[in-house]
Amino acid sequence: MADLVADISEAEQRTIQAQKAASQNQRPSASLEESSNFSGAASLGYEAIVAATSIRYYEDDLPPPPANPMLDLPLPPPPPEPLSQEEEAAQAKADKIKLALEKLKEAKVKKLVVKVHMNDNSTKSLMVDERQLARDVLDNLFEKTHCDYHVDWCLYEIYPELQIERLFEDHENVVEVLSDWTRDTENKLLFLEKEEKYAVFKNPQNFYLDNKGKKEGKETNEKMNAKNKESLLEESFCGTSVIVPELEGALYLKEDGKKSWKRRYFLLRASGIYYVPKGKSKTSRDLACFIQFENVNVYYGIQCKMKYKAPTDYCFVLKHPQIQKESQYIKYLCCDDARTLNQWITGVRIAKYGKTLYDNYQRAVSRAGLASRWTNLGTVNPATPAQLSTGFKPGTSQPNGQIPQAAHSVSAVLAEVKRQVEPPKNNVPALGNQDLKAPRAYHLPKSSQPPPPPIRRSSDTSCSPVLPSKPKSTAGVFPAPPDDFLPPPPPPPLEEVDLPLPPPPPPPDFHEAPPDFVPPPPLATAGVMGSLLPPPPPPPTLAPESRQLPHTVARKLPVPPKRQENPGPPSGGESGEQDFMSDLMKALQKKRGNMS
Amino acid sequence: MAGMKTASGDYIDSSWELRVFVGEEDPEAESVTLRVTGESHIGGVLLKIVEEIKRKQDWSDHAIWWEQKKRWLLQTHWTLDKYGILADARLFFGPQHQPVILRLPNRRALRLRASFSQPLFQAVAAICRLLSIRHPEELSLLRAPEKKEKKKKEKEPEEEVYDLSKVVLAGGVAPALFRGMPAHFSDSEQTEACYNMLSRPQPPPDPLLLQRLPRSGSMLDKTQLHSRWLDSSRCLMQQGVKAGDMLWLRFKYYSFFDLDPKTDAVRLTQLYEQARWDLLLEEIDCTEEEMMVFAALQYHINKLSKSGEVGEPVGRDSGLDDLDAALSNLEVKLEGSAPTDVLDSLTTIPELKDHLRIFRPRKLTLKGYRQHWVVFKETTLSYYKSQDEAPGDPIQQLNLKGCEVVPDVNVSGQKFCIKLLVPSPEGMSEIYLRCQDEQQYAHWMAGCRLASKGRTMADSSYASEVQAILAFLSLQRVGSAGSGNHSQGTDASTEGLNPYGLVAPRFQRKLKAKQLTPRILEAHQNVAQLSLSEAQLRFIQAWQSLPDFGISYFLVRFKGSRKDEILGIANNRLIRFDLAAGDVVKTWRFSNMRQWNVNWDIRQVAIEFDEHINVAFSCMSASCRIVHEYIGGYIFLSTRERARGEELDEDLFLQLTGGHEAF
Repeated sequence: MADLVADISEAEQRTIQAQKAASQNQRPSASLEESSNFSGAASLGYEAIVAATSIRYYEDDLPPPPANPMLDLPLPPPPPEPLSQEEEAAQAKADKIKLALEKLKEAKVKKLVVKVHMNDNSTKSLMVDERQLARDVLDNLFEKTHCDYHVDWCLYEIYPELQIERLFEDHENVVEVLSDWTRDTENKLLFLEKEEKYAVFKNPQNFYLDNKGKKEGKETNEKMNAKNKESLLEESFCGTSVIVPELEGALYLKEDGKKSWKRRYFLLRASGIYYVPKGKSKTSRDLACFIQFENVNVYYGIQCKMKYKAPTDYCFVLKHPQIQKESQYIKYLCCDDARTLNQWITGVRIAKYGKTLYDNYQRAVSRAGLASRWTNLGTVNPATPAQLSTGFKPGTSQPNGQIPQAAHSVSAVLAEVKRQVEPPKNNVPALGNQDLKAPRAYHLPKSSQPPPPPIRRSSDTSCSPVLPSKPKSTAGVFPAPPDDFLPPPPPPPLEEVDLPLPPPPPPPDFHEAPPDFVPPPPLATAGVMGSLLPPPPPPPTLAPESRQLPHTVARKLPVPPKRQENPGPPSGGESGEQDFMSDLMKALQKKRGNMS
Repeated sequence: MAGMKTASGDYIDSSWELRVFVGEEDPEAESVTLRVTGESHIGGVLLKIVEEIKRKQDWSDHAIWWEQKKRWLLQTHWTLDKYGILADARLFFGPQHQPVILRLPNRRALRLRASFSQPLFQAVAAICRLLSIRHPEELSLLRAPEKKEKKKKEKEPEEEVYDLSKVVLAGGVAPALFRGMPAHFSDSEQTEACYNMLSRPQPPPDPLLLQRLPRSGSMLDKTQLHSRWLDSSRCLMQQGVKAGDMLWLRFKYYSFFDLDPKTDAVRLTQLYEQARWDLLLEEIDCTEEEMMVFAALQYHINKLSKSGEVGEPVGRDSGLDDLDAALSNLEVKLEGSAPTDVLDSLTTIPELKDHLRIFRPRKLTLKGYRQHWVVFKETTLSYYKSQDEAPGDPIQQLNLKGCEVVPDVNVSGQKFCIKLLVPSPEGMSEIYLRCQDEQQYAHWMAGCRLASKGRTMADSSYASEVQAILAFLSLQRVGSAGSGNHSQGTDASTEGLNPYGLVAPRFQRKLKAKQLTPRILEAHQNVAQLSLSEAQLRFIQAWQSLPDFGISYFLVRFKGSRKDEILGIANNRLIRFDLAAGDVVKTWRFSNMRQWNVNWDIRQVAIEFDEHINVAFSCMSASCRIVHEYIGGYIFLSTRERARGEELDEDLFLQLTGGHEAF
């Protein structure tokens, strides 16, 4: 089901993208309204896609002539034709089916215009349709606000009347949640950064290895190294079933309909929250069920001390999402300190959502990683819009052949991202065998690419007070997981350029990979290939381009480049790495060797 | 050649006589005497023995067992001298593979031929290959518990022993699939039945039997089981196992790698069975709510595995089949009476309309149930004073999406109520619907359940949901056997579909059958749509989610402590428990472990963790070898993630778990 949803939203994004791309051709200043006439555009969507594909096709098609002189040197790339025919057919068919489905769905899609409060007290309105998950909405907001793509950004709902609030999980359907609000509600939707969102994945030891109440454990916990964190996460989230942190302790429970609080001993289990009845032990058989998570959400309680005479202000609240007014069916629990509160709330989230939470996190990390790559490649982006906006006059950008190259590297990122987004079904299997033959040829353009960006970026940042609308549109063109390279079989270079990846990383590591790539990686390859490089050294060839398109260059760069140090799980756990176990084993073997 | 003689008959070489017993290890056995020298190779000796016996037979599986040293002479190129064999050695020439009876995780007995000469690790791997269980490193064998002589001689019913001892596997290649089962099972009807036994869940046990079986009440009891594990690095023969002995096959390490319903039919089923027996025999504790989920899953799994046998000879399942048939008949009739035009059903969403009695509990009202005209369309329930007012505004309209549906049923009392807790912005509104009979109840109930999940009665699962509810009601009728005035009731009761067979005995004491059934039914509604393997997987997952899951207990005494304590070993940590209170005293994780040592002389295990934390203990309830093997085994299993797809690294396993021979 999740897959389906993802598919749909992907497809949808593509449509938006295509639309934007298309409308840019006609009226460059296309803005948000598009998404609102989206509903009517169902049929238009198809044309838009066609338009977009043809655009891409053009831009893809252009490269060969200029590129050849340079690329041909090592090995002429094997022509992709034989493979692509069946593939094309299959792709076209799949696309048609997708479109048909899309149209069917489109007919009765519910949409809401939502006012989102930013952390600078401004608001933004945006259209959210029924199929969008919180993740999609966040992506939209990223585009609109040019904030960094940090994983901590979240949608946040506040119930002023109940004084409770909570963050949306990335996989939650936004419209569904919002439609539970009453018509005259004071509830608000916020867009802000919350460290708590993925705290458990950044420092799992604080949740999984917490020595109950022992302070000395705290310092050692903080020190836990990346490798151990990763193995702890793996152990907790990647097994047959998710491990819910062991959590128990005395909490205060607000008694139904009264303002008195009773202290009870509560335990968290995967199946719900339990308490120890009076005079009983805390063995499983004696526990009484307090609440199960199926129909409730967990909220932070705000200022419960004032409102409900709670013993402390560290409260959490469990209620059915549809309940909007005070009611005896809302459960209030109160912890002794903030740390405990966070452990409980996170624990409940893990018990309720399980592995989905981890998947969300990994997606968020890869998104953040992607964003940082965008910053790096931002210099190159304008090539495409520039080309688009100038129409298809052949030759405008041809003279030195740089622009097509730019297109290459952009799509390379896209392709790479795509792989990250859906690692298992390594997109076009048919192209696989080409990967083996072709990469040499295509490292070249790429390796010649990276060096320039820093230069230009520095110049960019200096003139960064930018026209707001343009960057937006650039971002709009390549916002999200580039779903697909679209029907006409992309010329092989597109798929392959992205191969400066380290030796084939095993799928599980893929998600963590992004941070690694942030610094332009192919230096090494460049070194190896150096001898093969044709006389014209890269920087000079690129320079003309930047001169040629100075204004566009200045305009792109929507995202501040600081993304580089993003806090994703350090990719130290690459498969090849020796971890503790093997260390241990080595030690053992050594020892054995000595003994015998 | 040994045995050169002078004319006078004196041996002039250094040869001597070697006596080898043929067959069983018993002094009366047939024996042959050979003339050998210290330089004779084992291979040559074997050849001579076979010549001496003068019997035509396949001797390929035979080898020599040296009784005093408890070892097999398997290196045919070694000389007798190299082995150190002298004339006084007691040697037996016997088969390396012998039949044993395995008690499987599902408690069924199976006779098969196991290797008595290979290390147990390999022997288990071979057994698992035969049973088509992947990842044999997770399993091992235990000695069967010694039967206590019972005072009153209970007549144990003769149990069926499945036989796979004739089946021989071609070496090397993975067994191919044939007719949905590994090819070696499809040879005969017996083996096919055996495969069904392995790959299909067993029906729930008889509740009476369940009460009689020994249960471990305390942590101390739970340590008993773990004293019986056999040693992985030595062969069965060395561990004193005899041909025909009963051994238990169990999942030993609670770390199940890459569980895949498609390829792991047997493994999944056996794992499910082990989990189920763990729960039923209270080896692992769970809460009441959790037990209801487990019971519902068992009920569901049992139902599915039964219905899967439709093509099989019916035999003892006839009772249930009749019931099902009757139910589906009823269903057809009902469908007929409702407006279910094919076209209609495609375009319109079916609705329910009927007179129901409704009760809304409020403070300070004593009003009881009142008759209303109730219309249930899509996910919305509306009720009116009477049918005539139906076109107008309803008294109340409730959207059941996200609501809680609780059955309140007493079949013998003919009470069929549905309690709805409907969320609204103001809180939950509570409402009771009272139906007249089972049929009406089943249809409305099914509708409510689907609506609570946001689906309408047009959903394809509606009919099966109705079926499930009716089937469950009939189960309850059986459960409250007192009112067995329904004809099918008695038939089904012999089926053992007693709710007591689904829960641990302590719930038998705590809850009456008629309290138990509705609760299982309630839990069942969340799992009713699962397929067999999904349900099994869900069961296993829920089992894994229990806080006490996967802990093997040992009675130990820590160095420097004078009292006995409990050490729990789980797949990622060691836990020290207080014996009296059962509280966790301390947890050490394997990921912080630097090394561990075993002092075999004083039988003490010493472990060093990061930051110079040292722990040492001796094991009281089992050999320290078992503790050592558990720790090493878990460390080994944790290396699998990286070695995915590679051959099992047996050497590494033996290195981590064995080791005491090295000293």
